[in-house]
Amino acid sequence: MTTPRRTWLGPLASVAPLLIVLAAWQLASAAGALPKAVLPALTDVAKALAALIGSGEIFPHTLASLARAGTGLAVAVVVGIALGIAMARMRVVRLAFEPFLLLIYPVPKPALIPLFMIWLGIGDFSKIAVIALGCLLPVVTAAFNGARSVDEVLLWSARARGVSERRLLWRVVLPATLPQIATGVRTALAISIIILVSSEFLSSQEGLGYLISSYGGVGADDSMLAVVIYLAAIGYALDRLYLAALRRFMSWHAFAH
Amino acid sequence: MRSRTEPSQGEPSRAAGALARYLPIGVLLLAWELVTRLGWVNPFVFPPVSEILLRWIALIGDGSMFTPLKDTLWRALTGLAGAIAVGVPLGILMGRQRWAEWFFEPLFSFAFPLPKIALIPLFVQWFGLFDLSKVMLIFTDCLFPLVVFSYHGAKGVSPIYVWSAQARGASPWRVLRRVVLPMALASVYDGVLVAVVVALLVAVVTEMVSGGSGLGQTMIRAYRYGDVRTAFATLLTISLIGAALYRVAQALRGRFLSWHVGEA
Repeated sequence: MTTPRRTWLGPLASVAPLLIVLAAWQLASAAGALPKAVLPALTDVAKALAALIGSGEIFPHTLASLARAGTGLAVAVVVGIALGIAMARMRVVRLAFEPFLLLIYPVPKPALIPLFMIWLGIGDFSKIAVIALGCLLPVVTAAFNGARSVDEVLLWSARARGVSERRLLWRVVLPATLPQIATGVRTALAISIIILVSSEFLSSQEGLGYLISSYGGVGADDSMLAVVIYLAAIGYALDRLYLAALRRFMSWHAFAH
Repeated sequence: MRSRTEPSQGEPSRAAGALARYLPIGVLLLAWELVTRLGWVNPFVFPPVSEILLRWIALIGDGSMFTPLKDTLWRALTGLAGAIAVGVPLGILMGRQRWAEWFFEPLFSFAFPLPKIALIPLFVQWFGLFDLSKVMLIFTDCLFPLVVFSYHGAKGVSPIYVWSAQARGASPWRVLRRVVLPMALASVYDGVLVAVVVALLVAVVTEMVSGGSGLGQTMIRAYRYGDVRTAFATLLTISLIGAALYRVAQALRGRFLSWHVGEA
């Protein structure tokens, strides 16, 4: 994104704007230009974050949220890859599932939360189901497009060597599709967090979304903002981890990033 | 997205193509109707599709869908319009001016992955429970794709065109209007298409979370009453608006960018 800067100032130059904004925030609070009721001071938010982490209070909520998002995402990835590849390779499967996918395609997925709460209750199950459904589409689409564009020559040459269809799927189609799937999963990761937070806002007794709305509800703005920042950091870290894992395990594929 | 270049066998007529495309959906809806009519699932939990349609028609007919629909649409479009008005010039500025790029690019790429929806409680506190907090969050969330796509569009304009215009004595303003803007427009429009989807999604989520009428609140109320039919009917309305907004945005893109190579 940024233009490459090759001096030692490089990393500093790109965080400088952020530091400027944070410093301006802190100065405005200290000078009294920014009332506490509008935005608590940066240092207060930092203290609240330290307290949340120090007391360990935030960890059960982190665990609950990650378990929900992770389960939903995992279901979407497993089902999505299998379904996408099957749809690309077998006409029957495509005919059977495409209408369903076309039907849920234009639905903003968080809008499904109330419906799933009627069906599955307000517990974890409805949240996981909506996350799984929301994450399914980008994965299916990626796997489908990827598997359809597998170079036919690869398939012919494998078949000519007497490779069984099943082995062909595992050794040729799936690896050739992985790069596209990887992009789809990255989109799904971002979607999972949006649906997670929406669903925890609507109904939950624990989780980071619950923590944000309950602190917001009692006017503990410093703690609320601390959780927002913590959540953003987790989302950011997960995305970076995912990219690092891709680079490591798929080094054979020339990734653009 | 969905492939438009299906391998067409001998180019069948348009009607046949549409039939082939929508017939499977028709079959699915018919199967849904049959399964529920045969009593295989509890109709209170999963009603037949015909009853959902009847409820939808009834809610449209008696006007009770109109106010929430109007509120949701108004909020989504106002937030989107504001984000276009601010985000596109800002993105283009970032693409053309080094200082703007230096300052804003790291901020936007840092905050991009942050789920803006998590800011609902803060926005409610700043802007109240009603329209303003919702519109402001829609504005904020839509700003990101618009800025990022406009920035990349403006940055991608080949300097050769800019130089040649400058060599002919074009003023900076004229260069911007006649060279940079037209060339960045395709990318700007990709940002608009993303933002349209985001606008409706955020509108519905804010209405679900903080109420104050709108289709999101209708969904939540239907949940409280366990009214699956109304929930489905509202979901249908939301999806139709989403599809319609996207279509309109796409049609406008076709109109403005018909000269653009490689665009539909």
